[in-house]
Amino acid sequence: MVTDSLTGESLPGVSVLIKGTQQGTNTDLEGKFVLDISGNEAILIFSFVGYKDKEMLVRKGQAAKVELVSNIEALDEVAVVAFGTQKKSSMISSVTTIDPQELKVPSSNLTTALAGRLSGVIAYQRTGEPGQDNASFFIRGVTTFGYKKDPLILIDGIELNATDLARLQPDDIATFSIMKDATATSLYGARGANGVILVTTKEGNEGPARVSLRLENSISSNTRNVELADPITYMRLHNESVLTRDPIGLLPYSQNKIDNTVAGTDPYAYPAVDWRSMLLKDATSNQRVNFSVSGGGKVARYYIAGTFNQDNGVLKVDERNNFNSNINLKSYLLRSNVNINLTKTTETAVRLYGSFDDYRGPVDGGDGLYRKIMRSNPVLFPAYFPAEAARTRVQHILFGNSNQGSGNFINPYADMVKGYKDWTRSNMLAQFELKQDFGWVVPGLSARAMGNAQRYSYYDVSRFYNPFYYQAGGYDPRTGTYSLALMNEGEATEYLGYNEGAKDITATVYIEAAVNYNRTFAETHDVSGMLVYIRRNSLVANAGDLQRSLPFRNEGVSGRFTYGYDDRYLAEFNFGYNGSERFHQSERFGFFPSVGVGWYVSNEKFWEPMLSSVHKLKLRATYGLVGNDAIGGPEDRFFYLSNVNLNQEANGARFGTNFNYIRPGVSISRYPNERITWETDRQLNVGVELGLFNDFEIIAEYFTRHRSNILMTRASIPTTMGLQADVRANVGEAKSGGVDFSLDYNKIFTQQFWLQGRVNFTYASSEFTAYEEPDYRETYKSHIGHSLSQQWGLIAERLFVDDYEVANSPRQNYGEYRGGDIKYHDVNGDGQITNLDQVPLGFPTDPEIIYGFGFSAGYRSFDFSAFFQGSARSSFWIDPYATAPFVSYRYYDGELSDYSLQNQLLKAYADNHWSESNRNLHALWPRLSSTIIENNVQRNSWFMRNGSFLRLKSVELGYSIPRDYLSRWKIQNVRIYVSGTNVLTFSKFKLWDPEMAGNGLSYPVQKVFNIGVQVGF
Amino acid sequence: MKHCKLIILTGALGLLGSCNNYLDVIPDNVATIDNAFTMRSEAEKYLFTCYSYLPSEGDPQWNPAFVAGDEFWQFYPVTNFNGNSLEIARGNQNIVDPYLNYWDGLQGGKPLFVALRDCNIFLENIDKVIDLEPYMKVRWIAEVKFLKAYFHFWLLRLYGPIPIIRENMPISSSVDEVKVAREPVDSVVNYIVSLLDEAAVDLPAVVPDLTSERGRVTSLAARSIKARVLTLAASPLFNGNSDFSNYRNADGTELFSSTVDPQKWQRAAEACREAIEACHAAGLKLYYFPSTLYDISETTRTKMNIRNSIGERWNDELIWGSSNSTAHYIQRLCMARIDPSRLINEQALGQLAPTMRMAELFYSKNGVPITEDKTWEYANRYQLRTATAEDKYNLKEGYETAALHFDREPRFYADLAFDGAIWYGQGKYDDEDPWHVEAKMDQTSARKGVGRYSITGYFAKKLVNWNFIIQDGQDLSVEEYPWPIMRLADLYLLYAEALNELNGPGPEVYSWLNLVRERAGLPTVEDSWSTWSRLPDKYTTQEGLREIIHRERLIELAFEGHRYWDLRRWKQAADAFNGPVLGWDVEQTEAARYYRPRVLFKQVFRAPRDYFWPIREHNIVVNRNLVQSQGW
Repeated sequence: MVTDSLTGESLPGVSVLIKGTQQGTNTDLEGKFVLDISGNEAILIFSFVGYKDKEMLVRKGQAAKVELVSNIEALDEVAVVAFGTQKKSSMISSVTTIDPQELKVPSSNLTTALAGRLSGVIAYQRTGEPGQDNASFFIRGVTTFGYKKDPLILIDGIELNATDLARLQPDDIATFSIMKDATATSLYGARGANGVILVTTKEGNEGPARVSLRLENSISSNTRNVELADPITYMRLHNESVLTRDPIGLLPYSQNKIDNTVAGTDPYAYPAVDWRSMLLKDATSNQRVNFSVSGGGKVARYYIAGTFNQDNGVLKVDERNNFNSNINLKSYLLRSNVNINLTKTTETAVRLYGSFDDYRGPVDGGDGLYRKIMRSNPVLFPAYFPAEAARTRVQHILFGNSNQGSGNFINPYADMVKGYKDWTRSNMLAQFELKQDFGWVVPGLSARAMGNAQRYSYYDVSRFYNPFYYQAGGYDPRTGTYSLALMNEGEATEYLGYNEGAKDITATVYIEAAVNYNRTFAETHDVSGMLVYIRRNSLVANAGDLQRSLPFRNEGVSGRFTYGYDDRYLAEFNFGYNGSERFHQSERFGFFPSVGVGWYVSNEKFWEPMLSSVHKLKLRATYGLVGNDAIGGPEDRFFYLSNVNLNQEANGARFGTNFNYIRPGVSISRYPNERITWETDRQLNVGVELGLFNDFEIIAEYFTRHRSNILMTRASIPTTMGLQADVRANVGEAKSGGVDFSLDYNKIFTQQFWLQGRVNFTYASSEFTAYEEPDYRETYKSHIGHSLSQQWGLIAERLFVDDYEVANSPRQNYGEYRGGDIKYHDVNGDGQITNLDQVPLGFPTDPEIIYGFGFSAGYRSFDFSAFFQGSARSSFWIDPYATAPFVSYRYYDGELSDYSLQNQLLKAYADNHWSESNRNLHALWPRLSSTIIENNVQRNSWFMRNGSFLRLKSVELGYSIPRDYLSRWKIQNVRIYVSGTNVLTFSKFKLWDPEMAGNGLSYPVQKVFNIGVQVGF
Repeated sequence: MKHCKLIILTGALGLLGSCNNYLDVIPDNVATIDNAFTMRSEAEKYLFTCYSYLPSEGDPQWNPAFVAGDEFWQFYPVTNFNGNSLEIARGNQNIVDPYLNYWDGLQGGKPLFVALRDCNIFLENIDKVIDLEPYMKVRWIAEVKFLKAYFHFWLLRLYGPIPIIRENMPISSSVDEVKVAREPVDSVVNYIVSLLDEAAVDLPAVVPDLTSERGRVTSLAARSIKARVLTLAASPLFNGNSDFSNYRNADGTELFSSTVDPQKWQRAAEACREAIEACHAAGLKLYYFPSTLYDISETTRTKMNIRNSIGERWNDELIWGSSNSTAHYIQRLCMARIDPSRLINEQALGQLAPTMRMAELFYSKNGVPITEDKTWEYANRYQLRTATAEDKYNLKEGYETAALHFDREPRFYADLAFDGAIWYGQGKYDDEDPWHVEAKMDQTSARKGVGRYSITGYFAKKLVNWNFIIQDGQDLSVEEYPWPIMRLADLYLLYAEALNELNGPGPEVYSWLNLVRERAGLPTVEDSWSTWSRLPDKYTTQEGLREIIHRERLIELAFEGHRYWDLRRWKQAADAFNGPVLGWDVEQTEAARYYRPRVLFKQVFRAPRDYFWPIREHNIVVNRNLVQSQGW
C-alpha cells in the first residue's frame, strides 16, 4: 500500500519497480499493489509524478507500507509553456509557476491574491467593491506608455481578460504560470511584450469518481474608514470657508441653525445626519460553494466543476421597500473538461466553460453610492421625514432635500432605496482539441489542432422611482412643528421607471494548429521542435463607428526548437511571426526571435561532491524580441487610414430666417500614417536556480528590457499648424530592469510536523529613454531618465503667511490665491510659478518593489499559514479635488449634473487647516474655501504621500479530521479552516488604506474573515 | 513516411500564404477626407464646418467682450455660468492655461488655427466637386475667404501680431518649417483687408434665399467688417503704439510700428463710406419700431425703437447677424424675475449685471453727460427721490429710487432695468400697466439663494426681446434673435469717428452722429451741447468731438460686446478697467440702505500687458520662434 506522507491519502498509479530489473507494476486505485519477487527480498523503487523516488527493502510475503514524500519541485516537473509543455529541468526561459492552492483567498477574485505571491509580478488593488475589485497587475513592471500595459492572459490557450482570470477558481486550476522573458513569450510575437499569464484547467484522471466539495462563509468589512468631521464642525467650518474668501459672501448657515443643531432641538428641522452609518453596515457576509467531480476510464476522462459565489455589499436595506438594493453579486461557473482517446494515438478534448455573473445593487453601484455619501451635506436635511409630517396622506417616503443655493442636493439615502440595477455578464467558451501522435510514422512526432469559440455578453437595466423630495421650513420652536414643501411635484413618481444601460456582445473565434517533434538521440541529445499556426477573429456588437466595428484579427506562425545535451547543456530558439489588422500592409507582419542557453552545473560529474549541500545549480540566459501591437487605444486602430466624421453635429452650422437650415460638419480624428507599427521589446534575462541542503530552492533572476517604437504624439507640432488630431509616430523608447527573487523552503521534520516557507521579491524600475517632448530649457522637465509613472509637480514650500506675502512673491499662474494657500518654489527663477517649475516628485506611482513572505506549517491534524505582503518605492497623492471640503466636485464632466454636490469634511482637515486665527504654515489643508482653489490642487508636493505598506495579507488555520473517523462514512478527507485576509496593515499613512492610494473616498479595500470546510470523497 | 511532416508544414505555410487577405479587414469606401469633396451636398457640409468656428459672439461665456471688462459684473464664484471671462476681469489671466484661449481652442475659446486650416482645405479642394455650379462655387469660395479673414481679425484683436496662415503646411513639414513666427500687425491687417476685398466682389449684397441662407455672409458684411478692421488698425492701440517699440521677434522684426500714420484713418474712412453706401443701396436703414398693434406712448415707442434695433429678428438695421450664436442664454442671463406670481420659476437668471459705471454713462434727458448737464444734480445722484406720474413710462409711479434714475435719456430706460424701473413688454403690452422691477432684498427680483441675482441691482433689459415671457413652472418663451455682429448704427459711428480723426469736426461728422441720436430720441449734438452742456463748445474741437463720439458709441452700442474692444483700441482700457467696480448694496431691504454704492471688486489692469492675450506657455516651449505677448 502506497500513501502520501502528509495527507495519508492512498496513491493510485505509482510505479513500482524491482531495482536492477525491468519487472514492475503500478498501484491500483486504492494505492495497493501486488508484485512477485524472485528472491526472498528485493529493493523496490517507487516513483510517482510529484513525489520523491523512494527505495525500500521488502521481504517476500510481507505487506509493504510505503509513504511517498511529496516533492514540491518535482510537482512542477513538467511546466506549461507557450503552446505546449516542457520538462522543467530543461527549461531556460523565465517562468514563475505557483501551486494554485496558494492562490486561494476568501474572495471571489483571484487577482487580489497575486501581489507578493509570484516573483515578477507588480500588483495592487485600489477598490474593494464586489465585482469591481480587480487588482492591477503588471509583469516585471511597466515598460511602455502605450495603453496596453498589462499582460496577455491565456486560459487553456485562449486570450481572455482580467475579469475572466478573476473569476477562475483555484480549485479548478491545474497550472498557473507567469512568462517573463523573451524566450517564454516571443512565440506570442506582437502580443507578448508585457508578459503572459498562462493558466490551464484540470483534466480528469483515470479512476473512480472523486468528488471534492468546499463551502466557505466569510465576513467582510472595510480595512479602514475615512474619518469625517461632525456636523457641527461641518457647519462652523463651512461658514468659515465662505467668509475667509469673501467678506460679502452669503453664509450657508445661520447662527440660529447652528445653535439649534447643537441643542438637538428637532432632528427634522435641524438635522445632523451621519450618512455613512445611515446607509452602510459595518460588515457583510459572503458565501462560496465549489465542487468538482473527476475521474474516468481507459477511453474517456472527465473533470467537471461548478462554483457558486455570492458577494454582498455593505448597504442597509429600507424595510419600506419591497426590493432589496444592497449589492448582491452572484457568480456561477461551470466547467466541463472531457478527454476521449479515439484510438491509441488519437485524443480529443472538449472543454466547455461558462461564467455567469448576476448582479443586483443600487442604481449607482457601490462605488457610485460611496462617492455620493462623500459629497452629501450632513446638515441640510434629514434622510426622510416621518410619514405623519405630511399634511396630506401619501404612499411614498418623504425624502429630505433642500434647494438652498441652486438645484437639488444629493440625498444618498433616497438614491440607495429608490430602485435597483441588474446587470448580468456571461462568458461562454466551447473548445475542441484534437491530438494525434505520429510516433508510428516518425518517432517523436505529434500534431494537434484546436478551435475555440467564445461569446461574451453584458447588459444592465435599472428600475427606480423618482424620489419625492420635501423641504422643511418655518420651524416653530413653541409648538415644535415645521412645514413641509414638496420640491419636485410632477417629477417624482410613486411608480417605478426604467432605464436600459449598456449592452455589449463580443464574439471571438480562435484556431490553432501545431506540430511537435520530440526525441532523444543516443540518450544524450534531446531534440525538440514545434511549429504552431494561430488565427484569431473578434467582433464587437456596439462598436460606435465603422472603423471600430471591423473585425479584430491576429494571425501568426510561431516555433520553438530546443536542444539539450545530457541534461547539462541546453539551447533554445523561439520565434513568433505575427500580424495584426491594425497596421498598413507594409508594416503588418513582424518577426520576433529569441535565443537562450542554459548550463545545468549540478548535473556535471565534477559537482557530485557538492550535491549534498548544493543539490541544484542551473545557470541560464535568454535574449530576444517581443512585440506589443496594442498601441494607441483599444478602438484606435488602422493608423494608416484617416478617420473622418462627415456628419459631425458639433462642426455644423445653421442658417435661415428661423435658423432651421442645418447641416452637420466635418471633423478629423486621425491623420493617416502608414508607417505606424507595433512596439518592440528587447529582453535580456539571466537567471540562476539554486537548491540548497535539499530544503531550499532559490531562483534569482536579473532582467533588462528595452522597449522601442512606442507610439507617441509629436510634440514639435505647434498649434498654428491647425491640426485637429494629434500626429503620432513610433518614436518613444523606454527601458526597465530589475530583479526577481524567490526562495522556497520545504521540510518535513517528522510525520507530524512539516514546514514550508517562502519569500518573493520583485524589483522593477523603468525609465524613459526617448520621449517626444519640447526642447525644454529647464532640463528637469525632461522625461528622459525618469520612471514611466514618475509624476511632475510643483514644489510646495509652505502656506502663505498672508496676502502681503502673496503680493510680494513670484506670481502663481493658477487662479486666485491668498494667504494660507500653497506657496510654490520658483524653480527656474523667472519670477512666475508656471508649469515650467514642475519637477519630478517622489517615487513613481506604480510601486517598484512588491514583496511577500510567509510560511505554512502542519502539526498532526492542524495546519497554519500566514502570509505578509508589502509594497515599497511608490508615491501617491491625496486627491485634492475629491477631498476638498464643501466644494462641488465631479469625478468626470457631466457626472450627477442635476445635483448640487457638497464634499464632506475629513476630520483630519477639520483638525488641521490654515485659518486666520491659527496661521499654521504647515497645516494639512490650506485656507478653507467653498470652491476649488486651482492654486492648491495643482499636482504638488503638499499632497504627496509614501505608498509603502506591509500587510498581513492572509492567515489561515486548518484542521483535518483524522482519517480513522472518516473511513466509515466513505469520506476521504475533511478539512475545516478559518482564515483572514488583509488582517493587519502597517503604513505611515493613516487616513485610509494605503493600497487605495489617492482614491481613498471610494469603496474601501476589504478585510475578510472566513470559515470554510473542504470535503473529499 | 517523412512526407507526412512535410504535408503538415506545407499546410501550415499555405494558410500563412493567405495572411495578407485575412488581415485586410478594411472594406472599400471607408470614409476619408476625399469624400467631403466628391459632391455638392458633402462640400456644403465642409462650408458649414468653416462657419462653425465663428466665435459665439452672442454668448457671454465665450465672448470676452461682455464680462472681461467693466461693463457687466457677476457674483463670484459663479457656478451656473462658465466664468472664464470673469476670471479675466478679476485679473487672473495667466500663461499656463489662458482663459478664452482662441489660439489653442482651450478654456472656452474656439480653435481658430484649426478653423484656418479647414478654410484652406476647403479652398484647396473645392475645385474637385463635380456637381457644384460655377456661380455657387465662386460664392462659396468668397464666403470662406471672408471667414478666413474674420478668423485672422479675431486673432489680431486678441493677440496683436500673429502668424498669417496663407496656405496649409503639409503634415510632413519639417520641424523647423512648422515653427512659424508672428508677423507685424500692419501685415496682418493688409492680409485681412485683401481677403475681404476679394470676398466682397464675389458675394451677394443680400442672400438669395432668405429662408435658408440668412446669416451667411454677404458683400455688406465683408465691406463693413473691413471698415471695422481698418478703424482698429488706425486706432491708437495699433497705430504707432510706442508701448510696444521693444516688442520684436527673435530675429528683430518690429511687430508694431511706433510711428503714427494718419493715412490709416483715410483708409478707414473710405472703407466706412463704401460700406455705408453699399448698405444704403441694399435698402438698409436705422430701425424704427413699426408696430401699430398696441397703442403706446411716445416714450415707450422711443424705447422700443432702441430695444428692438437689437432684439427684433433680422431687422432693417442688421448688416450681419449670427444665426449660429443666437441670443438665448444671454436673454436668460439678463432677464429679471419680474412676475411676482411666478417666483418659483428659476429660469430667468438676471445675473449678468451692468455695473454702476454703465448706469452713469448714459446721457441726461438733454443728451449730454450727467456730469456736464447744467440742470442735472450730479453730486446728489445717490439721494432718494420718488417717481411721479410724469415718470410713469420709465419709473413706477410713487416708487422711491435713486436720483440717478431720474431725467435720463431714453436709451437709459430702454437698455437698463433696476429697482423701480418700468419693464414694458414681456407679455404685458399695455404701457399703462407694465411690469416693474422691485430688486431690494426679499423683493420679487432680488437675490434668491446663492446664485441667480444681479449683484449690482441693474439688469440689461436691452438684450431681452420684448416677447420673452416667464411662464408657469420652469417654462420660458424665448424669442431668439440672431446676434448682431454688425449693424448700421455701428457703421455710422465708425465713420463719424474716422472723419473726425481725419479732418476734425464738421457738419458731415455731426450728421452721422445725429442720425443715431435722432433714433435714440435725442436732440442733435450741436443743440444738446450748445443748450445744456457746461462745455458748450466741446463739439467744435477735434478732441472734444472725439470724446463725444466715443461716448455716443459706448452708449449706443452698450451691452452689445463693443465697449471692451473700443476701450482697448482707444488705449483707454487702462483707465476704465482699473478701479473699483460698484453696485447698489443689494443685500439691503430698506431703500436708504440699498441705495449706497458698494465696492464689489477692485479691478487692476496692467498696461500694456493686458491689452493682449498671453499665449499659452506650452506654445512658446514648442515653438521658440514664437515670442510671448509683451509683458506676459
